[in-house]
Amino acid sequence: MGRGLSRALAVAANTFRETVRERVLYNLVFFAILMTLAGLLLGQLSIRQDEKILKDIGLAAMDLFGVLIAVFIGTGLVSKEIERRSLYPLLAKPLSRSEFFLGKFAGLGFTLLVNLSVMLLGLLLTLGATGRRPDVGLLTAVYPLFLGLLLVVAFAMLFSTLTSSTLAAVLTVGVVVVGRFADVIRGMREVLPGVPQQLTKALFAVVPNFANFDFKSQVAYGEAVSAGILAWVTLYAAAWTLIVLGLGLASFRSRDFQ
Amino acid sequence: MSRAPALLLLLIAPLVPLSQQRIDRLAGAFRPQEEVLYLWSGEHVKRLVPGFESLAADIYWLRTVQYFGGQRRFASDKRFELLRPLIDITTALDPRLEVAYRYGAIFLSEPPPLGAGRPEEGVLVLEKGVAALPDAWRLRQDLGFFHYLFLNDAQTASRILLEAAEVEGAAFWLRTLAADLLAKGGDREASRRMWRQMFEQAEEGIIRDNARSRLLILDSLDTADALARSVLEFERRHGRRPARLEELAAAGLWRGSLVDAANVPFGYDATRGRVLIQETSPMWRPE
Repeated sequence: MGRGLSRALAVAANTFRETVRERVLYNLVFFAILMTLAGLLLGQLSIRQDEKILKDIGLAAMDLFGVLIAVFIGTGLVSKEIERRSLYPLLAKPLSRSEFFLGKFAGLGFTLLVNLSVMLLGLLLTLGATGRRPDVGLLTAVYPLFLGLLLVVAFAMLFSTLTSSTLAAVLTVGVVVVGRFADVIRGMREVLPGVPQQLTKALFAVVPNFANFDFKSQVAYGEAVSAGILAWVTLYAAAWTLIVLGLGLASFRSRDFQ
Repeated sequence: MSRAPALLLLLIAPLVPLSQQRIDRLAGAFRPQEEVLYLWSGEHVKRLVPGFESLAADIYWLRTVQYFGGQRRFASDKRFELLRPLIDITTALDPRLEVAYRYGAIFLSEPPPLGAGRPEEGVLVLEKGVAALPDAWRLRQDLGFFHYLFLNDAQTASRILLEAAEVEGAAFWLRTLAADLLAKGGDREASRRMWRQMFEQAEEGIIRDNARSRLLILDSLDTADALARSVLEFERRHGRRPARLEELAAAGLWRGSLVDAANVPFGYDATRGRVLIQETSPMWRPE
């Protein structure tokens, strides 16, 4: 168990180094420019809303960049190794498929964590530099955002074990978009009363509700997010991520790489 | 990059600022936004940006402010046709954006050329805001003010101000203002109190400037009334009206200035003895 964990961590560390080498964190430069420009211009343009808009822009950028990284790097994590045939020598070593798969997941998860942390720091610095109070309450929006991104990575990895990386990216984006419209599925019967209730319930149950991870607006208005709801969101994310990772792992283990 | 393409790029690059300069010279450096809005429903926009509604609301709000400023400053006909839909989309995307209701209502209600001159729509925007944010006493206060200032409905204004006074944290003077409106049916002093409140609550910018000029208009109207009283006194003493306002000063009946707050001389109708703010003055407003 201990050795397995250390091998998975080695894969994770390697994945992190690889993503950094692929210049994934270059988005931070764009983020820094965005925040600086927003900080300089919004006071003039927005009529008293500069703090709220700064927070909105910062949190939306974290969300958007995070999803893009999770989808496009996540789908390549496994499939690239297969396409480049670099997976075979790895699996010939004393490294199980589970350790490889989970290590990859943890590595990209860490990249996303670093990315979000630096962006959050940038947002807090921008707020401070424009005479606003650096609001640590922003953490209560960033944390669920991170949980959502981990779920996106899990989906990206699941699909990449089933199909090509391009199609996997399309499918993952599809899941994210549908997940953000989960409330529409729940309220479908209000628009289409003929749809059987069981169907809407079933659809809602099999689609991850990404709105659960979205506290951006609430936090931008300075409202507190309760510890209770964050705990439930954590549980929701953990359950979904474990299920999707489990399916991905099962699919990866059952693949024949001959 | 080899030398020839680099040289070509260097030659082409100055064409960009040069052509922009020419376009600006022909079309104007600053132009009002086109009266074009591709999506008219806030609910539709909302569905296009799941998870980013708040940011989209900010963008629409910035566009509203830019559109209003651009129309006010650069447009020749100043129709402000997109103002209401832009405010509606903004508030549909983020129903908690209080500033959009408050400032949007002012943009809509002020008479042209300062605003769209559609106070009924301004009131509707505020009513939407009150429904979305029932605990925001300032929105109710503005709704009461607008009923009085723009729709001349003291009865409704008084009722809404009393409702605003019931909201937790509301200003203490709302109740007395409501009672005054009800008792007197409204007067210039009530208007002055309302505009002063708006002036004090607003930060530097378009709304504060507007409230400041409204207060100056009220001062000018007071001066015009005082001058009219002096004209009556002149008539009582001399058996005729003064031919010009300057005669009041010569007769010792007026010591102040004969210009309004914008330094434009007051108009005087000698046949009827009326003193008016001239239409050419920035202080003039339609009655």
